[in-house]
Amino acid sequence: MKIAVCVKQVPDSWAEKKLRDGDAILDRAAVEGVMNELDEYAVEEALKIVEANGSGEVIVVSMGPDRAAEAVRKALSMGADAGIHLADAGLEGSDAVATSYALAKVIDGRGFDLVLFGSESTDARMSVVPAMVAERLGLAQLTFANKVEVAGGSVTIDRVSDNGVETITAALPAVVSVVEKINEPRYPSFKGIMAAKKKPVETLSAADAGLDAGQVGLAAAWSKVDSFAARPPKAAGVVVQDEGNGGIAIADFLAAQKIL
Amino acid sequence: MESDMVLRLVVGLALTFGILAFAGRRMAFLVKLARSGKPAVGRLTDPTARVEAEAVEVLGQKKLLKWTIPGIAHVFAFWGFLVLGATILEVYGALFIPDFAIPVVGHWSLVGFLEDLFGLLVLVGITIFAILRLRNNPEVKGRWSRFFGSHTSGAWIILFMIFNVVWTLFLYRAAQYNTGVFPFMDGGAFVTEIVAGWLEPLGETANEWLETIGIWLQIAVVLLFLLIVLHSKHLHIGAAPINVFTSRRPDALGPLLPMMYNGEPLNFEDPPEDALFGKGHIAEFTWKGYVDFMACTECGRCQSQCPAWNTEKPLSPKLMIMNLRDTMFAQSDYLLAAKGKHPGLGEFDEAALNSLSPEVRAEVERPFIGSREGSDHSAEDGYTFDGHRTTGADLPIIDEEALWNCTTCGACVNQCPVDIEHIDHFIDMRRNQVMIASDFPSELNGLFKNLENKGNPWGMNASDRNAWIEEVDFEVAVFGANGEDTIPADVDYLFWVGCAGAFEDRAKRTTKNVAELMNIAGVKFMVLGEGETCTGDPARRAGNEFLFQMQAAQNVEVLNEIKATKIVVTCPHCLNTLKREYPQLGGNYEVVHHTELLNDLVKAGRLTPVNKIDKTVTYHDPCYLGRHNKVYVPPRELVKATADTTVEMERSGDRSFCCGAGGARMWMEEKIGTRINQNRGDEAIATGAKRIAVACPFCSVMLNDAVTSRQQEEGRAVGVEVVDVSTLLLNATKA
Repeated sequence: MKIAVCVKQVPDSWAEKKLRDGDAILDRAAVEGVMNELDEYAVEEALKIVEANGSGEVIVVSMGPDRAAEAVRKALSMGADAGIHLADAGLEGSDAVATSYALAKVIDGRGFDLVLFGSESTDARMSVVPAMVAERLGLAQLTFANKVEVAGGSVTIDRVSDNGVETITAALPAVVSVVEKINEPRYPSFKGIMAAKKKPVETLSAADAGLDAGQVGLAAAWSKVDSFAARPPKAAGVVVQDEGNGGIAIADFLAAQKIL
Repeated sequence: MESDMVLRLVVGLALTFGILAFAGRRMAFLVKLARSGKPAVGRLTDPTARVEAEAVEVLGQKKLLKWTIPGIAHVFAFWGFLVLGATILEVYGALFIPDFAIPVVGHWSLVGFLEDLFGLLVLVGITIFAILRLRNNPEVKGRWSRFFGSHTSGAWIILFMIFNVVWTLFLYRAAQYNTGVFPFMDGGAFVTEIVAGWLEPLGETANEWLETIGIWLQIAVVLLFLLIVLHSKHLHIGAAPINVFTSRRPDALGPLLPMMYNGEPLNFEDPPEDALFGKGHIAEFTWKGYVDFMACTECGRCQSQCPAWNTEKPLSPKLMIMNLRDTMFAQSDYLLAAKGKHPGLGEFDEAALNSLSPEVRAEVERPFIGSREGSDHSAEDGYTFDGHRTTGADLPIIDEEALWNCTTCGACVNQCPVDIEHIDHFIDMRRNQVMIASDFPSELNGLFKNLENKGNPWGMNASDRNAWIEEVDFEVAVFGANGEDTIPADVDYLFWVGCAGAFEDRAKRTTKNVAELMNIAGVKFMVLGEGETCTGDPARRAGNEFLFQMQAAQNVEVLNEIKATKIVVTCPHCLNTLKREYPQLGGNYEVVHHTELLNDLVKAGRLTPVNKIDKTVTYHDPCYLGRHNKVYVPPRELVKATADTTVEMERSGDRSFCCGAGGARMWMEEKIGTRINQNRGDEAIATGAKRIAVACPFCSVMLNDAVTSRQQEEGRAVGVEVVDVSTLLLNATKA
């Protein structure tokens, strides 16, 4: 069982984020970077599958600037076996389409049985990369899993959606994205952190990965930011003093906001 | 007569050498076992303090006397045994010379009097012990007896043996008196004389025989007692003085010990391959740990004070130590065979392992820490009232639930008459669970991540650390705002606000109070603002020493760089870490708690409480201010300065009961038993006080929750508020 887990380094979810003035790209350098939380669930699930299987290998794949290597190390300290870090200045500003192209290029041909993703990144929140990668690799996509079972050459998931839970099975290899209800990611032990320092990480440039430079980066993005402005500061709320007519006052307020 | 003496000598010496051979073997075994532990550092430094400890705690029985009646009973027994040492000399002398007396003082009436007096006092002592044991019978009182789980039958045997020592003593002494060979024929030995009066009618021959038989009995009883001592919890007679001598001075509270490797602090950047990270097996404990376990006499004073045990959780410090001791003995074959070469980290010394019997081997390989959920007596750490523990090949030795129950409040360490270092052992086992096993309560995941990513337990943004400043109407100097590189000379204190003080609503109020009071009193202070991060206390108490080291190194670097000297804090946990733990990392600062500073300001007349509160106030001692740092008086003086009437809770001062939040318990769920904060809150409410004064942000949250939940019930805790001492002072200061 050979599993790829795609992880992304994102700016700390709760920090204030800014777009860069010139190219309107998220200013990653200004904020503390952390491993996308949802990806931790994917790493945990991969480790669990390998543990349950008795043998196997978990390879972390990440695309991002140099410091995204921290996210790879974090996954290795949790217990993944090796890492692949795709880092190239030319990749900066890549949109979901370009990201899926790059990731698929890295993953393809390495003999993975399963490709795991977190269901979304906390910065872009599009949830489309897993599906796009599956499409590009020509594999089945099983997204939003809150339960994953691998047995006898196939994978079965419980897919959660607003409409309920569907059970889906596909033959391996396949692409699976997981939601946060699936497990409790382990905290890397100190032993794990030490061991991670010695685990192999393959760093690839765009050329190493065989990427067509014209298909990645800001220039290749399918959408373009013309202008942006900071969100105006939150205005003070309306305080309704209850002088016997509180209920009516609240109803009036909600009606004025077109909520009622 | 001559042949009688030969017989007396032969039997006496035969008994002695026969039993001493067994005793000697056992002693050699115990010494070897203790020495098989891993190295412990600094246990003999500062010999003056150690000799003093021996004088005060062993000879002076200071910690035993924390409990008056059991303490006095123990003083009688302890001093009785020291004084009766003289009679051992006499009895052996009488084996050789019928009218033997100790040289020089041997005929003094005073000596005879003291021997008899202490013989009698030992009887009084054991009678008190027997009454205490009957009144606190764990079979009747269950877990509310401090003897729950102690080996009660063993304790009764000991009392019986002491009784035997005393009656055989008076038997042979009385017979000696009647045969005229007694060293104190001129008076003094008043008990002996009374007993002699009873024996005299039996006639001279009978008394001669009683003398010899009494001497044999005395020797036999004393030696048997020695054997029993060496095989029971009564081993404390020998182990306790050693344990006190090698204990952490002045006590094992305040700072936690750094992790060591070969006598040096462990380098976390590049740890040696064979370094241990906490304790994950009995073979990983130090020799001091083993002596701790041998010294435990199962008195249960720790258990009686433990917040976890008192709220019906599995943890009892006593049962934990007993369990570690029993494990040490059960695995002693391995410990002795491995000779300290146990590699740890889940590995065993294979050669030693292969030399073991299958039973011992199974014991050695039993899981050390894990869940005992669902096993028998799991609510009492597996123990029955009389000290039998549920075992099984798959049942882990240490119950993880009990391990994580500990609030590190220090009540056990404070109480222990033989200076066992409970908290250090618990934290060492937590260290293993976090850093090696990665198996700990899942709530701590969030805590660790928040500390790593955001530098505070709540996961708030550092940019919000100064939010409180916008809510006060006076100037607050923020370090670096005017381009300072170091703290200006005219600044009296660096005000370490703390994470709670910056982010938690109730603690924020304390921060603002203290700032305002300093402002009123003309104390110049400065805050670090965004430069502050968590001191690392919760990480360290949760066993994440690696994270603590990172937080602490960062803070020490900042504080040293800006040349901080005097620091004031509102959080006792920050106080303990900054003042007592940062010296381990090269950070030495003068740190005061706000109650100390404010009290000084009131005493100096720089703050004047004019408007005293007309409600009764009770003060709750935070563990990390009180027991861990011995600040009991200043907050009380402050409370008295601001309130007309104050009342103490029954458990106060060094016996204060924890709020339940220490030891990183603030961030863990409390799933078993009743709630610690409720227990304490109810005690505070029961005093009738309308204000519960606190001096710690965590106590504030915990006790406020407890009071609020009681206020949901009709007519309970009406008008009771939990307030920081600074709130009382600020209200009193403002006219």
